[in-house]
Amino acid sequence: MKSKWYTLLSVIMLFSLLAACGGGGTSGDTGKAPGSGGAEAPSGDKGETTVQFWHSLGGKNGEYMDALIQRFNASHEDIEVVGTFQGSYDETVTKLQQAIASDTGPDVSMLERAYVQMFADSEVLEDLTPYLEGSGISADDFTPGLMGHSVFNDQLVSLPLNRSTPILHVNKTLLDEQGLQIPTTWEELKEVANALVVKEGSEYKRYGVTMPYDTWYPIAMISQAGGTFFNDDNTSIGFGDNGVGAKMFAYLKDLQSTGALYYPPAQDSGNIVNSMFVEGKVGMMYQSTGSIGGLSSAVDFDYVTAFLPKDEVYANPTGGANVTMLSSSKNKEAAWEFIRWMEMEEEGGLEFILQSGYLPFTKKMVESEQIQELWAKEPNRKVAYDQLEFAVDTNKDVAWPEIMHEFFSAMEAIMYDSKDIPATLDTFKKETERILAQ
Amino acid sequence: MKTFDLKIVWTALGYLLKAAVLMIFIFPFLWMISTSLQTFRETMTFPPTWFPASPKWGNFAEAMNAGPFLTYFRNSVVVTGSIIVLQFLIMIPAAYAFAKYKFPGKTLLFGMILLAFMIPGQVTFIPVYLMMADWGLVKTLLPQIIPFISNAFGIFLLRQYFMQIPEEIIEAARLDNASEFKIIRKIMVPMSKPALATIALFSFVSHWNDYFWPLVMTDSAAVRPLTLGIAMLRETEGISNWHIIMAGNVILVVPILLVYVFCSKHIVKAFVYSGIK
Repeated sequence: MKSKWYTLLSVIMLFSLLAACGGGGTSGDTGKAPGSGGAEAPSGDKGETTVQFWHSLGGKNGEYMDALIQRFNASHEDIEVVGTFQGSYDETVTKLQQAIASDTGPDVSMLERAYVQMFADSEVLEDLTPYLEGSGISADDFTPGLMGHSVFNDQLVSLPLNRSTPILHVNKTLLDEQGLQIPTTWEELKEVANALVVKEGSEYKRYGVTMPYDTWYPIAMISQAGGTFFNDDNTSIGFGDNGVGAKMFAYLKDLQSTGALYYPPAQDSGNIVNSMFVEGKVGMMYQSTGSIGGLSSAVDFDYVTAFLPKDEVYANPTGGANVTMLSSSKNKEAAWEFIRWMEMEEEGGLEFILQSGYLPFTKKMVESEQIQELWAKEPNRKVAYDQLEFAVDTNKDVAWPEIMHEFFSAMEAIMYDSKDIPATLDTFKKETERILAQ
Repeated sequence: MKTFDLKIVWTALGYLLKAAVLMIFIFPFLWMISTSLQTFRETMTFPPTWFPASPKWGNFAEAMNAGPFLTYFRNSVVVTGSIIVLQFLIMIPAAYAFAKYKFPGKTLLFGMILLAFMIPGQVTFIPVYLMMADWGLVKTLLPQIIPFISNAFGIFLLRQYFMQIPEEIIEAARLDNASEFKIIRKIMVPMSKPALATIALFSFVSHWNDYFWPLVMTDSAAVRPLTLGIAMLRETEGISNWHIIMAGNVILVVPILLVYVFCSKHIVKAFVYSGIK
């Protein structure tokens, strides 16, 4: 028994020695590792410039991003891009904050669009305007609906990359069975959703429409009803006094009360609604365009996408992430070359967009043969792009991340606990004003 | 006769209760294993499938091929292994000193150690990160190891254990001219194996599973552990491939089970002994 322990201890001891030796050099022997951002630190013996690129893409999209980086490295002898997955969008933000503070930040980073303001306000993002001019690119070359979070204080601080938008996913087979049309207005949505409800006893066997627990969808509906998330001078909310918020939540509560709306539990809501939709337990779903690929391969019914129904107007926010250059970068020329190549070249962004299903972010991309062919084959993806004509991003403020948490609390109070809507919104409004005044 | 019957009833009830508790604990494991063998379509079904129509062993290969998993695995082993060894090297003499020596400031020092294990890691990670960045260590495995080489909980637990070892044995050894180091090695350590095994297991599980600390402390895949590799299997937006993620999780959990099997005998002893005394 004693010898066993000593063996174990000495084995472990060996590992710790390995770790100590591996200190600086561990990176060296992982060069053969396939995929996933090939994180080996290049030695620079070829006079290469290394560009650190942080991103938040896991799963399939992470593989497509790695492939993009490899294509870049293969076509650029003097630049080596090292892509590193840094966790979710929020985790990447945390990492960036601490890395910038300790001067260990990357050259280029992916940044969830709603966080752009916060970083731009701290003046840690490089103004890309001179770089664009130097490369003969105009800000008008990009898809207009996706530029809502790119300009801050007259500086162009980020460019769209993996961008999405909420869209209506429809089980056309179910609607056809009932002779129902795809709804285009809130009124129609209410009728169709109620017609889809199947109730046995006190148990709902099928719901009409659902949406993940997220601020995205209420924000979309606020714009549709003629409100804005923040008022014009960003001192308060733009859906309080005009009654838009109360109207929107009352509409949702009304749908919820008849089973027309299934509002999922907060935890893992995205996966819950997806699998309910796939199983035909719900006829329609508000969900990101990012789900189109996965849903297409999972459903066995006629699946189509449509614009989010309008109230007074069609409107939708956008989502996903932008790419940005850190002003602390010591390799700005090389960093820009990577951004330029990724944004403009066919084998860069276009290839990635075709693979991943995110929205095409330049006009040239939209006009390309490949995208046109894809849209002809998969009209569901075109719908998402067409809807961008009505994109409005109204949740723009450096304090958004903080206010978002308050908005979640208000949503929970109303959707889960059926708290009084005007009172809840009033509390939220006061909280927002307090935060914005800071 | 009647009391005999009652005994059977109670035993049966006891087993039922144990079975019920066992189910609660084992359920997530079974779910994970089941999901890791399903197809994408099966993971989406509602109500969920328990038994995949035909087990897809390929999911494991797909999870392994999603990144440099051997590197991740080696990093996990090196980091966790180093932490445990270094913890033992510090913890055993410290616990021995606290249990068997009298010196000024002992209570104060011990109080500080107890305080140390009440502070959550999230509170200290920014200063620690800045320190590690200052020393140029963020591209190595060391920031994942150094902050954990002292284990306050371990010192506390081991001290309690050492205190139960009779003074007479140590006195006898000293009369035989044994050095303090020899006393630790030949008497204290062998007699507290169950406690050491328990501490090692707790330490192993918590560092093997750690996600937050390695994420904030590392910048490249070359020094990242398995937990981060598996987090990378998850889609940021869109639909997650749960079958692949769960295959990754099974790979992550297997070493824990193996270590548990190895340590379990000692752990049971640790609890039995402390119960008797």
